[in-house]
Amino acid sequence: MSGAARTAIVTAGVVTPIGQDLDAFWSGLLTGADGISAIERFPVDDLRVGRGGEIKKLRRVADWGRVPDCRASRLLISAAEDLLAQLGERPLPAVPERVAVIVGTALGGVDEGERALAAGGRRRLRGGLYDTPGYNLARWLGARGPVLTVCTACAAGAGAMEVGAEMLRQGEVDLVVAGGYDPLCRFVMRGFNALRSLTRERVRPFDRRRSGLLLGEAAALVLMRRDGEVGHDRLGTLLGAASVTDGHHISAPHPEGAGLERALQAAMRQAGIAPGDVDFVSAHGTATALNDPIEVGVIKRVLGARAHAVPVNSIKGALGHTMGAAATLEAVMCLLASRHGQIPATRGLEEPDPACDLDHVPGEARRYRPRVSLSTSLGFGGCNAALVLEGAA
Amino acid sequence: MSGSSTTPPNGGVRLRALGLRTGWEGLGWRDPADLPADARAAAGGRGVLSLGVPAVADAGVRRATRECRWALAAVEAMLEDENTEREAIAGAGTALLYVTAASYGASNRAFIEGGGGTHFAYTAPAVVPAEVAIAYGIGGPTAIYIGGGPATLRAIWQAAALIGRGACERALVLTVETFEECADLYARARHLVAAPIVEAAGCLWLEPGGARVTLRTARDAGGRGRGGELAACGPLAELARRRRAGGPAGGLHARWQGEHAELLWTEKETR
Repeated sequence: MSGAARTAIVTAGVVTPIGQDLDAFWSGLLTGADGISAIERFPVDDLRVGRGGEIKKLRRVADWGRVPDCRASRLLISAAEDLLAQLGERPLPAVPERVAVIVGTALGGVDEGERALAAGGRRRLRGGLYDTPGYNLARWLGARGPVLTVCTACAAGAGAMEVGAEMLRQGEVDLVVAGGYDPLCRFVMRGFNALRSLTRERVRPFDRRRSGLLLGEAAALVLMRRDGEVGHDRLGTLLGAASVTDGHHISAPHPEGAGLERALQAAMRQAGIAPGDVDFVSAHGTATALNDPIEVGVIKRVLGARAHAVPVNSIKGALGHTMGAAATLEAVMCLLASRHGQIPATRGLEEPDPACDLDHVPGEARRYRPRVSLSTSLGFGGCNAALVLEGAA
Repeated sequence: MSGSSTTPPNGGVRLRALGLRTGWEGLGWRDPADLPADARAAAGGRGVLSLGVPAVADAGVRRATRECRWALAAVEAMLEDENTEREAIAGAGTALLYVTAASYGASNRAFIEGGGGTHFAYTAPAVVPAEVAIAYGIGGPTAIYIGGGPATLRAIWQAAALIGRGACERALVLTVETFEECADLYARARHLVAAPIVEAAGCLWLEPGGARVTLRTARDAGGRGRGGELAACGPLAELARRRRAGGPAGGLHARWQGEHAELLWTEKETR
């Protein structure tokens, strides 16, 4: 495999509806935990669907009083606290000016923006900007290098990792904290209700009865370094990454997944891998009528004859669609699968759709240790992203 | 300046075309290469200089938001700058990078204050470059950064990197800033954006060439450019000014949320 694009993923930190640290997240995925519940944090009585992957009691970090009163920032900082705990070092082991913070989001601080409109106040206006949670995270981490917010909708977490890897490759910084986040808020629940994309049933990726998605909130961060500066003590390696636009529709995916196919091919080219090298695919797998068969078609075209031999799962049945956090969470899941030798089942898949005829990992978690994984993401605005990851095990 | 520095690894770039429309047009400053040095005085007490609403012939985008329409107008201005047909930027060989600090504000507010399903789709910043990609048949690499001028400088650098490693044949850096719909909010947050805040929409076309770009980033330094607060569009206004003066060479500076960046544009020596 080409070494040109390799970037070490040292460790990760997460906060999710099924677990508020890496270990709890992983065990929740393996045991089939259900992160979906009735939403309690804001009013949903007037909405067609009022359920989602809500984190009921967000874990507080030690200096919680210094954390801005903003759900998005709090999610990010909780994930960063887990990342530092996993790393076992604080502060981050680099000159602060050489640490970049790159975060992806679909919503930014819109929750705060809504509060600013309702209640006024300068502080809340600043909090309502899409890039403020990223700056808040950088301040909390003590990072003084570049801060960037990537907003390729629900593919943004992958875009953030892509940019972070590029900064490291070019020697711009020595350490990157990259990932994604999004809170559940009334704004986004109203929006997806209006689009009628939310299901009143279970989220059932690749199932013939699938009837839509549910939203979730989460944050996921990875700590990245140049490949040659980290030994075997790492979570894994990012081998390739690409983001590509569809140019098709503002909210619907391209009917044949043309952009996603180009993204996968570009990421695999950058990674220097062939279809035969791929052991596992973490699909976007939203459980909408449109998305799942399109993704299956793309995977078949990209992997060719190998497609039916490769497990393809979706974890959105457990968490809901965590929007800006989803791509990073799914990348972390791929690397944990390599570390632990198990892949999580596709929760909610019981009656496979004949149009989704790959090995979608129904039932229970499977003993299997992928080395090279692909992770796919799609978002509003024709955004498509693909990551190629290699486990450390 | 402390901080870090980086240069795309291979090849170089050329600025092929640049289109920029600004809210100064309403006050008679029609040339984006010649924006007022003393913006506060030139604005005459106005807090926001609006671009207004562009006329759109294409029925397909009549429902699109003002920021989407201005994105399309910026691309049109860029094509007019080069006197080139739209087919020249179509296809998977064109990368499209979009930067904005504020343009989602208008659509987000409209939705919060009572929009329906269609409005919700338009609250995603990604929809602005999507309308451009759809209208011009663009299907190459993409990036969307939220932030002011430093994010635009990074997008220009990223575009050069994509060109340098052969990921695309050309790259467009699109910036749109609309403020009018949220003028009351900005008026009570002058510490974030000092008046006048100036609406603008621009598009920069880069292709392989002889210039190298180097990005330097740091925190807590820097000042404001000509023409008031143009946010993400500021670097394009400065590029337009440089080009008028003979070429883009030199340092482009930008500042946002306490972050400061400089893009050094260096023409390679020819013998």
